[in-house]
Amino acid sequence: KPVEPPQPSAALQSLKSARFLSVMEQNIYPPGISSPNPAVNAAVAKKGKTFKYDAQFLLQFQKVFTEQPSVEFLQQVKSLIGDTDGSR
Amino acid sequence: MASTAEMPAAEGPKMNEQVDLTTIPVSPNGDGPDASTDNDIKTIFHDKDNFNVKHPLQNKWTLWYTKPPSGKGDNWNDLLKEVITFDSVEEFWGVQNNVAAVSKLPQKADYHLFKAGVRPEWEDAQNKHGGKWSYQFKRPHSVNIDEIWLHVMLAAIGETLEDVEDGEIMGVVVNVRKALFRIGVWTRTIGKSIPGRGDGDVAGGKGRSPDKAKKILLDIGQRFKSLLDLGPGELVEFSGHTDSAHSGSSRAKAKFTV
Repeated sequence: KPVEPPQPSAALQSLKSARFLSVMEQNIYPPGISSPNPAVNAAVAKKGKTFKYDAQFLLQFQKVFTEQPSVEFLQQVKSLIGDTDGSR
Repeated sequence: MASTAEMPAAEGPKMNEQVDLTTIPVSPNGDGPDASTDNDIKTIFHDKDNFNVKHPLQNKWTLWYTKPPSGKGDNWNDLLKEVITFDSVEEFWGVQNNVAAVSKLPQKADYHLFKAGVRPEWEDAQNKHGGKWSYQFKRPHSVNIDEIWLHVMLAAIGETLEDVEDGEIMGVVVNVRKALFRIGVWTRTIGKSIPGRGDGDVAGGKGRSPDKAKKILLDIGQRFKSLLDLGPGELVEFSGHTDSAHSGSSRAKAKFTV
């Protein structure tokens, strides 16, 4: 019986097909989610070319994107790093 | 064995069947198959499995891992492994959530998070005139190294370690050693001009005054230090890579401290 190749998760498919935001938008987030702190971008002259993100903003993603970043990633990490605790 | 290749195009996939991914239409712009949603911005916070925009990073970053030596005769090049390169906030978390925490790494292992195209080695052309801010935690059990390393990485990819035009940050690194963790930020220069960097006001350029170059490095040191949650009186040290190389250890005399 042939082994089915692993399928990318829905989150990973979205990651691959999503487009990059091209400007730092303040008003696109659902309630309860903070936009990037405008203060860290205040001095940014090249709007749309430079992105600074404060840690508070970035930490909001921590529990939201938890899938491996490619179908083979865990296997690759296991062969690179060895079987530490990386496989969850 | 059923083949998916014969599936009529007009017939949608059944929910309980696995579908050949190449049959799923995805436009080059990355908009979903439903044309009516073209202008809908759906972030990962709206739907974590079905989002259509992602957050770009200013730079592409590559995560590297140094394996502990197996015994004798290991070549550094065989121990230093490129793990993955990424360029979005979402992808960073996919990586971070699926690799071993620093606290779980064996002794003599390192993680390096460097801008893509820069190897985390002194010898790299973009590092060899540079240096690093670094700090050693000598009581590894009394420090939350995972949290600290995370915040150092977030400051790197979020570009909050330096100002937009500074051009100094090359990467960040954590070393796991016997009875210590060492954490560092690598810079392109040691505050001096570099051959071939031209006359402009860029890192290593002749147009950047020594005072300004030094101030930029000191500012980076302060920002880095603020991430480490150190007590008063603790010092973070800057040293040039070649000084470290010549002294035969990573503990060269500090050029600056903050």
